Amino acid sequence: MRPRVAVAAGGAIALVVALGACSKNTGEGTTVDTERQQTGVIATDPKDSQGPAAEVSGAAKGGTFTIIRESPISHLDPQRTYSFAGLMANPLFARYLTTWKDDGKGGLVLVGDLAETPGKNVNNDCKVWEFTVKDGVKFEDGRPITSKEIAYGIARSFDPDLSGGPTYIQEWLADTAQFDTKWDFKKNKTSLPPGLSTPDAKTLRFEFAKPRCDLPFAVSLPTTAPLPADKDTGVDLDKQPFSSGPYKVAKNQVGVQITLDRNTNWDPKTDPVRHQYPDQFVWSFGPTADAANNRVIADNGADQSALAFNTVPASLVAKVAGDATLKSRSILSPTPSANQLVINNQRVTDLKVRQALNYAIDREGFIKAMGGQTVAAPLTTLMPPATIGYKAYDAYPAGANGNVDKAKELLGGKTPELVLGVADNSTEQQQGAQLKANLERAGFKITLRNISDDAKLDEIKKKNNPWDLYIGNWAADWPSGASILPVLYDGRTIKAEGNSNQAYFNDPAINTEMDRISALSAAEQGPEWAKLDERIMKEHAPVVPLFVDVAYNVHGSKAGGIFISSVFGYPSFVNAHVKP
Amino acid sequence: MARFLLKRLFSATLTLFAVSVLTFLMFFALPRDPVSSICSKNCNPERLERVRDDLGLNDPLISQYAGYMKGIVTGRDLGSAQGGRCDAPCLGWSYVTNEAVSDTIARVLPVTLSIVIPAAILWLLLGVGLGMVSALRRGTWLDRLAIGFSLTGASLQLYFVGAVLLLVFVYNLRLLPVPSYTSIFDNPAKWASGLVLAWVALAFLFSAIYARLSRAQMLETLSEDFVRTARAKGLAKPKVYGRHALRAAITPVVTIAGLDVGGALGGTVITETTFGIQGLGRTAVDAVRSGDLPTIMATVLIAAVFVVLANVLVDLLYAAIDPRVRLR
Amino acid sequence: MSLSPVEGVALAEIESGGDEGGAATKGVVGRSPGQLAWLRLRRDRTAVVSGVLLVFFLLLGLAAPLIEMVYGIGPREQFQNMLDGFGMPLGYAGGVSGEHWFGLEPGLGRDIFIRLIYGLRTSLFIAFAAALITATIGIVLGALAGYLGGWLDAVINWITDLTLAMPFLIIALALTPTITLRFYGERGQVSSAFGVGVLIAVFAIFGWTSTARLVRGQVIALREREFVEAARASGAGLGHMLFRQLLPNIWAPILVSFSLAVPQFITSEAALSFIGVGLSDETPSFGRMIYRSLDFLQTDPAYVFFPGITIFALVFAFNLFGDALRDALDPKSSR
Repeated sequence: MRPRVAVAAGGAIALVVALGACSKNTGEGTTVDTERQQTGVIATDPKDSQGPAAEVSGAAKGGTFTIIRESPISHLDPQRTYSFAGLMANPLFARYLTTWKDDGKGGLVLVGDLAETPGKNVNNDCKVWEFTVKDGVKFEDGRPITSKEIAYGIARSFDPDLSGGPTYIQEWLADTAQFDTKWDFKKNKTSLPPGLSTPDAKTLRFEFAKPRCDLPFAVSLPTTAPLPADKDTGVDLDKQPFSSGPYKVAKNQVGVQITLDRNTNWDPKTDPVRHQYPDQFVWSFGPTADAANNRVIADNGADQSALAFNTVPASLVAKVAGDATLKSRSILSPTPSANQLVINNQRVTDLKVRQALNYAIDREGFIKAMGGQTVAAPLTTLMPPATIGYKAYDAYPAGANGNVDKAKELLGGKTPELVLGVADNSTEQQQGAQLKANLERAGFKITLRNISDDAKLDEIKKKNNPWDLYIGNWAADWPSGASILPVLYDGRTIKAEGNSNQAYFNDPAINTEMDRISALSAAEQGPEWAKLDERIMKEHAPVVPLFVDVAYNVHGSKAGGIFISSVFGYPSFVNAHVKP
Repeated sequence: MARFLLKRLFSATLTLFAVSVLTFLMFFALPRDPVSSICSKNCNPERLERVRDDLGLNDPLISQYAGYMKGIVTGRDLGSAQGGRCDAPCLGWSYVTNEAVSDTIARVLPVTLSIVIPAAILWLLLGVGLGMVSALRRGTWLDRLAIGFSLTGASLQLYFVGAVLLLVFVYNLRLLPVPSYTSIFDNPAKWASGLVLAWVALAFLFSAIYARLSRAQMLETLSEDFVRTARAKGLAKPKVYGRHALRAAITPVVTIAGLDVGGALGGTVITETTFGIQGLGRTAVDAVRSGDLPTIMATVLIAAVFVVLANVLVDLLYAAIDPRVRLR
Repeated sequence: MSLSPVEGVALAEIESGGDEGGAATKGVVGRSPGQLAWLRLRRDRTAVVSGVLLVFFLLLGLAAPLIEMVYGIGPREQFQNMLDGFGMPLGYAGGVSGEHWFGLEPGLGRDIFIRLIYGLRTSLFIAFAAALITATIGIVLGALAGYLGGWLDAVINWITDLTLAMPFLIIALALTPTITLRFYGERGQVSSAFGVGVLIAVFAIFGWTSTARLVRGQVIALREREFVEAARASGAGLGHMLFRQLLPNIWAPILVSFSLAVPQFITSEAALSFIGVGLSDETPSFGRMIYRSLDFLQTDPAYVFFPGITIFALVFAFNLFGDALRDALDPKSSR
């Protein structure tokens, strides 16, 4: 009798699981177009910076917009915000000096947010910048926002207790990476950091020792969110930030849910990008990416006006892409987040080996291993297509699946033994297995070494890390070559740990060229960075460009106005609304 | 009795102390630098070093441990970067989640309790019920069905059952909401509907063990002399089974239940992960992954407290239920 | 879900039958209790069927390299050209074909059948090795504690309590990468055998408690028996007392607990994979396969089905056999 029970139980499982396994997959209809052109400019016409933002067609007021995400947002305090979820949540309750007007299709204009224009380059040498604060901008308690509160926000970002946020402005003002030793916030709460001043309540002035032509971009980060000194609660500001945007934090159950209500003191006429359509925004944390997406796909009750912030997992892609009814409920867009097979140039010093790696790479297979074209799009350049001035090229053309023969030819019969460090998460494990098979076909001998998932980033940032290859990622803070190439490939920045130049690439000629381009005006820099990009790849091949992340999100049938930010590659909420 | 209790409590305290020391040591053997999670994209070695100093990570191990223990007993000042004064029992400040660890625990502990306690009641009722029925109806189709059911449960894995339950009841039939935690005090209906799948999955898997156990116990007790005597004296069947046999049979069930519940309260990692609910277990796993020592310490210690307490409690219950057992 | 790999169940079930192991000795004249049990086992249809199934699984695992030769496909070979643009296998039921009997994994396109065979090999090896080691540790510590009593008993008991109080999954999660680093440095190729060894070691550290408690209880029950006292009086040494006098009388419950521990370790390996500890992707194992496949429940159910049904059948067979074994060894509870 017991065997019969076994058969029955087995049969029941078989039935549940095998349902739907009988249709044939012919591979049709599985192509996704992820190409798009990026254009980016800094607004020269002050009208661009004026509100109100154009109405979103079909948008109506009211409703609760829910955003479901697996892990909580690490910081709400604008001065400490750097994670993508934080960067996307912040505009709901924080305004900055400048911000991006984004059409969601790659068209970007940098406009003044709290400032009337995206900055005035006073002497045209990028060393002195002035911003004029708009009239009518207010905090959630109705107090007007002046240059004092913006300056105070920047000043508190010097506090080592409040670490975590971007450090561009601090480092530029202090002219050293050790900005918090140069100027101690806690001892000087009533004064301002060196180089920062407020000549009057409307004016904010930056003076730098070196030209900082990227300042208008840098002040689009949350570091420049205003805060009155009497509302500074230190580390507790993370729980209850003080709003200057269209919404304010009404209730924050840390780690579980954040509820944002309308801020009645926000004036749409002063804001060029934000709207205030839903009555409420709710960030809900906890469900895994799988659960969140399944929930939104099911489109039940409150989930009808919800968005799964985590992209569709590879395992669900076939379901979402194959379902015509989900087409109108999904957004698919390439992001500016570029991924490379980083070659440790300190260890792999032979240019031929690095070039052979570039020829050998099977990008199509690699992307398949990750879940296909809705997860990643192939990339052959250092900078992602979403960079101002971008020019496409392939320095080592070898087709979608790589050219094994060409790689073998370059290796000349040698079999270089390389250690590939991979994080022990399931994605990188798959990637590692695929890369190993791929590269060994081309004559390499690859050893896979697992690195603890959370430690991987810190480990490969150490100068003397022991691996030859690892998968690296860079998502720039603004879409300019200046926030990509010098950060990743300027050899003079290499230090013992905490490196962004994870290829440990250092070439004096390239370094000099970077200095030259950095001193150009922001408008002139674009094409020059693109040229340098190609030159680095052709002459040095310090990495193997792999792919850009593709954002693939689903939302409920009543959620509208969601687009993927052309700057950060994550869903933006400035146009979000709930359909009646 | 009092002497026994004292002895048990002393040994329990010693166990907890050893657990805390071991956990502390283990963490420092981890090839993981907790500091870098604080410092973001643009980190430099000097800054990292200063953060390490601020957090006391450069102090000798002993003084770090002493500091932690002192915090639990008397509370301590953690400095402005870690939320300032931290009152006893101070479990420290997590530099990964940026909140006092006691806040984290206060949030996730009710979740785990809400999963485990109803599930335990369910699996005990189901398991013991099935076991009794199959023992009393030994050899019939009912017995076979119960045993088959319990063996199937024992051979399945929670993540498997959970995934299938989710797919069927939540995503396809849409009978239940997606599992989530709502406080029972806020909305009991939502609390139950959000967790019922987890209860059912746990109960199905665990009841298997109890069914087999209580069946075996029952069968054995039924053949024992005192039961036979009771029957011979003419006592009615239900009375004999209900009062005498069940009582004796339940003792080992209590032992196992105590240990199981104690263990489960320390975190139902797999259940929480499968159903996407953030309880003590998932918090502990996250903490290990991110090298978040204060949270690891707190979760491990709480789990250990539950296990140790369960042990003591089981011993006491043992005596209460079974008159044959005397406490030494 | 208990955090200990082997719940104390086997222990309690068997303890209840405590004296029966001894009772059987006094049983029928002319046949040893072992022979009796064997006879009963052979007459039990369930036991025979599940036993045959287990032997079949064991043979499959042992013959994995042979099967690979005949089948012609290795566990690490990738057939990405047979996947569509989303990395899903082309064709019916996850790419099932004459060439790939159980289809292909999404993403990498590895053959599921051959990976299952190798996974079976890995998982069975881990489970058996872990069960053997934990049984040995448990028997030695339990017998010593039970027989000698006194302070040694107290210490061993306390260590047992401590081991139970340490959350197993969390510790495993923390320890595994550390141990790997200590042994292989940062660049060495970590062999599959090492990963397997670490897992076994982790199981060994946490899995011995239930056997120890079981054996201790049994030994205490036997300690005061006449034959033991007789042996002691005749001046037998500790070794003789433990291995000649006591253990032969309690092998039955130990065997049952062993047979129930093996499937527990199989599922524990899978559970560890589920939270991200355990073997690397290069070593095929049940745990990793199940863990990876579950995500594809909706899009590639065949991928879930084949590993899922195999692990279920294996564990179910073990449980059936363990049950039957207990019945055979303990005549009182047999039907």
